[in-house]
Amino acid sequence: MSDPRFEDLPVPVVHHHKRGWPSAVWIVPIVAIVAAGALALRTYLRAGPTIQITFENAEGLEAGKSDVRYRNVPVGKIDRIELTADQREIIVTVKLNHGAASLAAKDSRFWVERPRIGVGGVSGFGTLLSGAYIGVDRGSDKDTSDRFTGLEKPPGVTHDQIGRRFRIDAVDAGSLAVRSPVYLLRQQVGAISDLELAEDGKHVYIEIFIDSPYDRAVTDTAVFWNTSGLDVSLDATGLHVDTQSLATVVAGGIAFGFRDGDPPGKPAVENAHFKLFEDRAHAMARPDATRLPLALRFHQTVRGVSAGTAVDFEGVRIGQVDAVKLGYESTRHEFFSDIDATVYPERLGAAYAGLVEEGQRTGKTGLQMLQALVARGLRAQLRSGNLLTGQFYIGLGWFPGERGKDAVAERDGVWVVPTERGGTDQIQDQVESIVAKIDKIPFEAIGGDVRDATHAATSLIGHLDRDVVPSAQQLVGQAGAAMLALRESLTALRDNVAAPDSAIQQTTRATLEQLENAARSLRGLADYLQHHPESILRGRDAGSEPKGHP
Amino acid sequence: MIRGADVGLATCATCELVVNLGSDGAPPDAAQGEAQGGAQGEPWRPRALCPRCRTPVRIRKRNARTHAIALLVAAAALYFPANALTMMHTEQFPVARDDTILSGVVFLWERGSWELAVLVFAASIVVPLLKIGSLGFLIVTTARHSAWRPRARTKLYRVLEVIGHWSMLDVFVVALLTAVVQLGRFASVAPGPAVLPFAGVVVLTMLASASFDPRAIWDRGLSRGLSRGLSRGLRGGLRE
Repeated sequence: MSDPRFEDLPVPVVHHHKRGWPSAVWIVPIVAIVAAGALALRTYLRAGPTIQITFENAEGLEAGKSDVRYRNVPVGKIDRIELTADQREIIVTVKLNHGAASLAAKDSRFWVERPRIGVGGVSGFGTLLSGAYIGVDRGSDKDTSDRFTGLEKPPGVTHDQIGRRFRIDAVDAGSLAVRSPVYLLRQQVGAISDLELAEDGKHVYIEIFIDSPYDRAVTDTAVFWNTSGLDVSLDATGLHVDTQSLATVVAGGIAFGFRDGDPPGKPAVENAHFKLFEDRAHAMARPDATRLPLALRFHQTVRGVSAGTAVDFEGVRIGQVDAVKLGYESTRHEFFSDIDATVYPERLGAAYAGLVEEGQRTGKTGLQMLQALVARGLRAQLRSGNLLTGQFYIGLGWFPGERGKDAVAERDGVWVVPTERGGTDQIQDQVESIVAKIDKIPFEAIGGDVRDATHAATSLIGHLDRDVVPSAQQLVGQAGAAMLALRESLTALRDNVAAPDSAIQQTTRATLEQLENAARSLRGLADYLQHHPESILRGRDAGSEPKGHP
Repeated sequence: MIRGADVGLATCATCELVVNLGSDGAPPDAAQGEAQGGAQGEPWRPRALCPRCRTPVRIRKRNARTHAIALLVAAAALYFPANALTMMHTEQFPVARDDTILSGVVFLWERGSWELAVLVFAASIVVPLLKIGSLGFLIVTTARHSAWRPRARTKLYRVLEVIGHWSMLDVFVVALLTAVVQLGRFASVAPGPAVLPFAGVVVLTMLASASFDPRAIWDRGLSRGLSRGLSRGLRGGLRE
């Protein structure tokens, strides 16, 4: 192989090429930079505001993982979790999404949603799996903020709920808590949104939120009562178990309703105040304007009477016992029980109106009126309301036998109504005396006598068996023979008397014929005498024969 | 050692025909073409085509460094969104997470799969960075006609070419998971906005390393002007 000569190699074709433009390859980096810039811009624009929320603790929250959720939709992410400078709280830095900027309204509220078993059931159950997240309640304020103080508990009512708030003053909140349900006719129509102790420490202010449209059902005549737990009451009318729903047994709740006969009323204004009654019975009872405190002294056991025991007049519950106190009377060395009771005379209805009217007409005071009633035999008495439960009530009743004996005393401004030993007490006494009498019966001696008598009877029966029975049998045999003889005699008699050809028959017939003839003659005579009465004096007329039957 | 460029010889890149571009590296009628272009006032530049297959024949790749720089800049620009944005959106009931490449690596590391973490970290973060950096290094050194260890630099280039194919690992993983993990509401995987920039980085670095002409590493001793002329494929550039 010879060396190839360069000159022998082919020569390329010359192609003329436009020049002067920068290389087209620069389009690539320009496009890349624009794309990168666009992505960066988009990311920047899509990033929403960054806000900081302080919480007491960060339990369950994780930076970079935990969400911020509005109506369970993720709207942001926790970026950082730090302690405050004084290390008392934590600051959670949250990056909200672009569309969620409005959630940073000034009055928005944030809380940590964790699994909670509480009022109205289990909430945040999903967070068991997903971990805690921050819940948002979007505020309505137009101004936004970037610093918030987080709530430790989810708010009872969120801003977007439609309805109205009302204030309820309670003496005892019981087991009520925020989110406890509010019921109307056993249907949940709202919830407790806030619970706050009054400054004086004697009241609890409860804020409830009633969802629309039920908020219009809350009128100014509505009454609220606590339905917390199981309302088990044992009174003279028996055992009562009352509850709104199973949830209230655990969680407590408030119910509201209307008293029978109350006007429907106008819808209450927002934040109207109401009173919380301890139970339905109290709520439904009319407000008793007139309270009449009474004192009753019983010289007997008051077992079964306690605060709340009914005071009854003619079957109408007109009040209740407030307190039971044991007292001692040193002069007679006796214990007694003082019962303080409150009576609401208005519960007597028309009767009370009548009494009041009478009082006004006669110018008598209430005390005088009561005095008059007592003089007519009105007494308080402890009565058994329920033999099974052993509950008692205080009955005001009439005792004609006591008429005019006692009077109403006034002690510390309280009227003392005379009492009568209770019906049960009397029954008890009687039963006791009966038992004592039964005790006195010499059952052993009686038993002995009965035994002796039985012995005697047995021996008597043996004697009868042995001695009397044989002679009796003999007697019976003799009697049979006597009967036979008697029958024979009777047969003979019949043969003599009843046969048609017997001598007695013949004779009897002849006698009867003669008697007939004699009677005929007598009749003829009688007829003659009737027609000729003169014949008695003058004798018989020859021509006038007495007419008669021949 | 004599080079083709020194005696005006070039190889057709397509059919490997060795072409004589003239002793000065210019085709025989280059001057004529140049004159024509000049006469008409149009900036025509003569261009050598392979007489056999009509592929442009050059002593060095055309505009190699310009292309490489442009593509490298594009790759570098896309590198940032590729790492800053979400690569993969995973929903594994009830947790949904958005992972960038780095957070995915951290996640794998925390889960104890440190082998995978290292692999993903190397393939998705280190390799693109190394490619951009070393290609930039090669471009700068060739532009300066550096005589520093040309063999080592050539080796670096070969390594770049080889590992470049593996950089798409992350994109493959996301594509695969997206296709496979679609279990309704229990688990699903969706690609994030970083996938395209990331793929762009990988493709652009591969194109950049392909457009780079490793022969330029050995062009030391040539003057800047000659080297520019070589890169344009014509010795005629020398005459400018």
